[in-house]
Amino acid sequence: MALTITCPICGARNGYEFRYGGEEKGPKPDEAALRSPEAWCDYIHFNRCKAGAQEEWWFHRDGCGAWFTIHRDTVTNREIPGKEAGI
Amino acid sequence: MNRLNHLDTLKIRPDESVTIEYLGKPFQGAAGDTIATLLYGGGVRIFGRSLKYHRPRGLYSLNGECSNTLMAVDGEPNVRGETTEARNGMVVEPQNVKGDPARDLMGFMDKLSPVLPAGFYYKMFHKPASLWPKAIKGIRKAAGLGKISPHFTMKGSFDEIYLNADVCVIGGGPAGMAAALAASQAGLRVILLESRPWLGGFFDYRPGLYDRGRSLADRVETDPNIRVFTRTSVIGSYTDNLITAFCRGDGSDAFDERYLEIRAKSVVTSTGCIERPLLFAHNERPGVMQISCAHRLIRTWGILPGTSAVFSIGDDLGLEAALDLADLGMEIQCVADVREDGQNEALADRLAEKGIPLFRGWVAAASDGDPKVKRVSLTAINGVRSREFECDLIVAGAGQTPVTGPLTLAGAKQRFDRRTGFFLPVDLPRKMHAAGRMLGYIDPDAIEASGDLAGVKAAADCNGADDSKIREAEERLGDLQGPARGTKFIIGPVKTGKTFICFDEDTTVKNVDQAIAGGFDVPELIKRFTAAGTGPGQGGIPGHNLPLYVGLTGQSPDLDPRPTTVRPPLTPTLIAAYAGSNHDMSKRTPMHEEQVKAGGRMERVGVWHRARRFGDDAAAAAEIENVRNNVGILDASTLGKFRIFGPDVLKALDRVYVGSMSRVKSDRMLYSAMCNEDGCIIDDGVLVKRGENDYYFTTSTGRAGSSAEWIRYHTRYENWDFHIVNLTDAFGVINLAGPNARKTLEKVADADLSNDAFPFMGYREFSIKEIPVRAMRLGFVGELSFELHVASSWMPALWKIIEEAGAEFGIRHFGLEAQNVLRMEKGHLIIGSESEQRTTLHDVGLGFLWHKEKREADTVGAAALRHTENQEGRLKLVGIEAQDPQQTPRDGSIIVDEKIRGYVATARYSRTLEKSVGMALVESELADIGTQLEIFEGEKDDERLAATVVPMPFYDPEGRRLRM
Amino acid sequence: MLKKPSATAKPLWKKAPFKSSYDAVIIGGGLHGLATAYFLARDHGMTNIAVIEKRYIGFGGAGRNTAIVRANQRTQENVPLYKEALELWPVLTRELDFNLMFYNCGNLNLAHSDAALKAMRTNVATARFHGVQSRVVDPKECKELVPALDISERPRYPIFGGMYHPPGGIVRHDAVVWGLAKGATAKGIHIHQGTEVTGIGVSNGKVVSVETDKGKIATNRVLNAAGGYSAALSWNLLGMKLPISVLTIQAMVTQPLKPLLHHVVSSGAYHCYANQTLKGEIATGSHMDPWPNYTTQTTARYIKHQAEALIEMMPCLSGIKFMRTWGGLADMTPDMAPIMDGNHPHEGYYLDCGWGYFGFKSSTVTGKYMAQYMATGQCPEILAPFALRRFQEHRLMGETAALVNYTPDN
Ligand SMILES: Cc1cc2nc3c(=O)[nH]c(=O)nc-3n(C[C@H](O)[C@H](O)[C@H](O)COP(=O)(O)OP(=O)(O)OC[C@H]3O[C@@H](n4cnc5c(N)ncnc54)[C@H](O)[C@@H]3O)c2cc1C
Ligand SMILES: [Zn+2]
Repeated sequence: MALTITCPICGARNGYEFRYGGEEKGPKPDEAALRSPEAWCDYIHFNRCKAGAQEEWWFHRDGCGAWFTIHRDTVTNREIPGKEAGI
Repeated sequence: MNRLNHLDTLKIRPDESVTIEYLGKPFQGAAGDTIATLLYGGGVRIFGRSLKYHRPRGLYSLNGECSNTLMAVDGEPNVRGETTEARNGMVVEPQNVKGDPARDLMGFMDKLSPVLPAGFYYKMFHKPASLWPKAIKGIRKAAGLGKISPHFTMKGSFDEIYLNADVCVIGGGPAGMAAALAASQAGLRVILLESRPWLGGFFDYRPGLYDRGRSLADRVETDPNIRVFTRTSVIGSYTDNLITAFCRGDGSDAFDERYLEIRAKSVVTSTGCIERPLLFAHNERPGVMQISCAHRLIRTWGILPGTSAVFSIGDDLGLEAALDLADLGMEIQCVADVREDGQNEALADRLAEKGIPLFRGWVAAASDGDPKVKRVSLTAINGVRSREFECDLIVAGAGQTPVTGPLTLAGAKQRFDRRTGFFLPVDLPRKMHAAGRMLGYIDPDAIEASGDLAGVKAAADCNGADDSKIREAEERLGDLQGPARGTKFIIGPVKTGKTFICFDEDTTVKNVDQAIAGGFDVPELIKRFTAAGTGPGQGGIPGHNLPLYVGLTGQSPDLDPRPTTVRPPLTPTLIAAYAGSNHDMSKRTPMHEEQVKAGGRMERVGVWHRARRFGDDAAAAAEIENVRNNVGILDASTLGKFRIFGPDVLKALDRVYVGSMSRVKSDRMLYSAMCNEDGCIIDDGVLVKRGENDYYFTTSTGRAGSSAEWIRYHTRYENWDFHIVNLTDAFGVINLAGPNARKTLEKVADADLSNDAFPFMGYREFSIKEIPVRAMRLGFVGELSFELHVASSWMPALWKIIEEAGAEFGIRHFGLEAQNVLRMEKGHLIIGSESEQRTTLHDVGLGFLWHKEKREADTVGAAALRHTENQEGRLKLVGIEAQDPQQTPRDGSIIVDEKIRGYVATARYSRTLEKSVGMALVESELADIGTQLEIFEGEKDDERLAATVVPMPFYDPEGRRLRM
Repeated sequence: MLKKPSATAKPLWKKAPFKSSYDAVIIGGGLHGLATAYFLARDHGMTNIAVIEKRYIGFGGAGRNTAIVRANQRTQENVPLYKEALELWPVLTRELDFNLMFYNCGNLNLAHSDAALKAMRTNVATARFHGVQSRVVDPKECKELVPALDISERPRYPIFGGMYHPPGGIVRHDAVVWGLAKGATAKGIHIHQGTEVTGIGVSNGKVVSVETDKGKIATNRVLNAAGGYSAALSWNLLGMKLPISVLTIQAMVTQPLKPLLHHVVSSGAYHCYANQTLKGEIATGSHMDPWPNYTTQTTARYIKHQAEALIEMMPCLSGIKFMRTWGGLADMTPDMAPIMDGNHPHEGYYLDCGWGYFGFKSSTVTGKYMAQYMATGQCPEILAPFALRRFQEHRLMGETAALVNYTPDN
């Protein structure tokens, strides 16, 4: 596999320039909402581990330094272009 | 040397001789010879012994399909004689044998085969249990082919290049060349990779096609858009058209081997075919060889492969080879063709003209002779009749097998195609194309047209689709002869003896039968159980036959056979070649050389090189003493240093620091920490305010690379306006520490450094001999100290100024070990040393840094800090003192009673305090001052050291010295 | 003298009819699933059990790992489990009458800094505290153990010392799969290959059935031992998320050589380990590709990395050739320790996952205790620390002292 990732600023680049940043789970609930250990654990540690298309965060470490999300198929390890992902 | 030097298809230069040493004797060949052809030309017929049965093995293939010609060359094991060019002076030895493989003492192994069935290891040697350890010794000794010395050093030079191309074409045969030319005509940059030293592929050894291949090659080689790499084997192929390969130097190149990584917009695979071996009894006896091997030996190397041959073939290429070899002077007794009909009649007629009998529907059943072929028995495929012939060469092949590795590695599937009998690539990854003979084309025009079509499609991938061009190319191909029908033949009526489906692992069809009977019903499992296809030649010999055979004999013959998985590297590849130039990315501070000169023992700390100590004393006692009594200078340039600024900067800082960052005043530093969402401490450092919404902060060395990313991560949903600049490399840092630090600095600084004017935890900016510095009064090592941040380019100059100024006070370097002891005496922690992954801010006693009331900041880790604030049963950081000062527990020792209760993080004998003190993480029940601890170092099983929990800091608990 | 085995081999494991009801269903014909099945029968007399395997037994990590076994972990929760696992290889070889080929060559782990030596001392002390042999060795002894090592100052990470652990070694991974399948089916357990679990039926908080592509099975106990697929399965079938990231991890072998390495060698700094199999190949593996995947494709990056690391450690290896690379899945938890749990949140639902790249060595012993858990409904004490609840209770295991680097949070 040889992932190519499209950075919104730098364009399509070698995946090893980037760092993975987790499944997109939406903004972190505020502290009050995380009072219960279950809710806290659910947001912080639990993953869906989807086999297929998922939205996920990436950081362009050896590049512009942006955090952004892409859609990627975790079975083929290929980025799904925006329009195919329905965005 | 007795070669057919007049052939115009030769790739050797007969007048340039090459001499190598084999078994201690010189052998002479010609420039262009491979090791195997040179030796074969010199009369060598037995090249090595097989892995399991020690059977003699000879030249069978020429592309590295099997390990028959693996040899040791200049101490390097497992060199493929058949693909490695011979060079003057090479010392070549056979493998898996003592002395000459023609007379191997282990040959008796062959007789043991009835007691060594498939998977025999699993069923043997374990009863009684005491047998197994002894058996292991024997198994290990018998296993393995080549031998390498643990002291072997690889000679030669290795490097790597990274290329981009529009189109990458794999395979420089006619289809590949046509594809490259088509893509070049579309104005694209093309890279063409070919594993042989020359272009030509399928055309280059066939008399009628040689010139045609040459003229294509001429066009390709002179085409400015095409960059040709010969001697280049593709080893990997990955999604998004990443191709890896390695290139062997031609002797005059600057490298011996070169690793290549190519990213292409489109890829054409035109890797042609190898031969499908013929299954018959003793089908690998020296003297049996593949059709193209015999044909190329004579056409490319001018060597007559034998004197009297029998052919057993399955396609027209076999007929063509027999005719050509006969024309060139070899006696051919007969040709057995597994096909009952369907031969190219023109070829059949020519055989008849030459008086060579053609037995249609016949096949080789067994070879005979010891160790070399003397006889062959042929049989009608219905098994009713047979005949024997005396011969010294059996040219045998069942048909062709496409080389699809580059496609399947990238994700293409394979489907069994009943017409060609091939596993054809289907569902090709996007922007990957297949062309030529691998698709079953045999007609030269069709092969080229298929390449042209692939080239046009690849061009469309790059330039945007041009349907009319593609349609034209498709039509041209459509008018030509389609893929040829392949033979369905798998195995004849073999009665006795070993029929090898895999040579490298000595796997016979009987072994496969045994595996199937044992319940292994898919080829992938049979491969694992019998090891077929797991040797140095990988699938080269069994890749096609194994699934066909399993399909034939398995329970569900209606199912299409399924091939086993091909894995990279497609060609065994030297580790040295993969490593290439083997870059090491590491960083040196501006003071690196200076410290080395001063006796610094440099160590790798993350990406950096840092001085652990100066001189031989591992305890760095003199350095420590000097800091405590005079003044020491430490290069702390590796500290992470950042500027963070912008209108929303305080929001960002409050998010990531546990403290309330609005409290920082412009002339004072704020010490704070960062936690992760588990509330576990990941970093600490200081922050200073340099202007409105403009801050400067430090992180630990290890976090310098990730802090910006981490802060951005935890603010990624916010639209906050702030910026972070990593200044780690831009600034050097000098830590000047000790009671004489002020005296030293005062001599050269243009500022008032008195305790009142510049107190502890103060921050100032001033100049030292006109060099602007950012100065912090910190006390990590527990003494009066100044941390000076200065532009990296000024670092050496500043260092020199300070060293000169401090000379009269006894200034000297100190390194990491001294710093470690000094800060430990002071009870200051180093994250990662005194904390684990699971250690919270509370656990290390820094809970007071957490500002609970800034809820709106949603500080990273705050929820977990709240959860764990009063949690029982956690590991807490405490100070310990060893009962016996002379018995310092080692770092990493464990604290025990009947269970493990904690860990010693750092402990040292303190010369300053004349006792052994340290820090430890212990269960909270044991954290009270005065608790007695037992420490187990893991040296002597019954030995325990005694220690007591004591308050920290150990040194200067009131903190007077840093406030001097 | 060698006895000639019977000419016509018997099937190693029996094929069985698919029944509509079992006392327990095990998802995954990997090591953990097969071992649990075997011990359910051996220790608890439960034989009306089905192991459901999507592809073929050993398809997952079971057939892709590098089979390193050892018992020198960092924590007291782990060491006893792995110690028992080491002791089980010869026992199972005898019981299953199948040679699992435990090659007790010992493991040498290299330290390239003082910090690494300190970490090793913790492991050594923990091991010895539990009666497991292990010791810290100096560079000279490292070289005596593995003459191919370069202990000079030249390499990128010079060798400071090491941890030598004689009781470890390697085992033939396929043999374990096949041997356990043989043993389990001989006791009457059904293995259904080519069958995929597609649903778990829950009623009133209790497991009542398992759906497969071959039909529905009534059962009130199910074990999720689907290896790399276990987290996705848990989410898809029960809507239950797990603290897992699934990453691809690779391994590779060189061409076979005469004996060169007599121990397993590993180095954290290089992210690299190597050992020589009984066949003579040097098997070596590296770190995970740092983003989640269900692909078992390999990468150009890692085979190159591996080459660079190996020749820094053992320069003579530059003269040999890589022959084959492959990939598998590693289901990683935040504390690099597995999750073993049951009856939570659904009664009858058991979990044995999060084994990442280290779950071969423990597979048999875990099977033993998971079998006890499933048979009795009570969590065996030795498994209690591995409960899923530890993540919400802020009690990470401590198996890794350093921060793990595959989550962005750290
Ligand atoms: C490259 C590599 C090297 C490794 N090296 C080592 C090592 O040296 N030492 C060590 O201790 N460990 C090692 N491991 C880890 C070890 O292989 C795994 O931890 C172990 O295999 C886990 O066993 P398992 O039985 O839980 O899962 P697996 O062996 O993966 O079995 C899970 C099975 O579940 C099946 N399955 C999945 N979904 C379904 C479904 N819906 N229905 C039915 N069946 C399903 C899969 O097909 C698979 O066969 C390594 C792993 C890899 C990938
Ligand atoms: Zn970018």
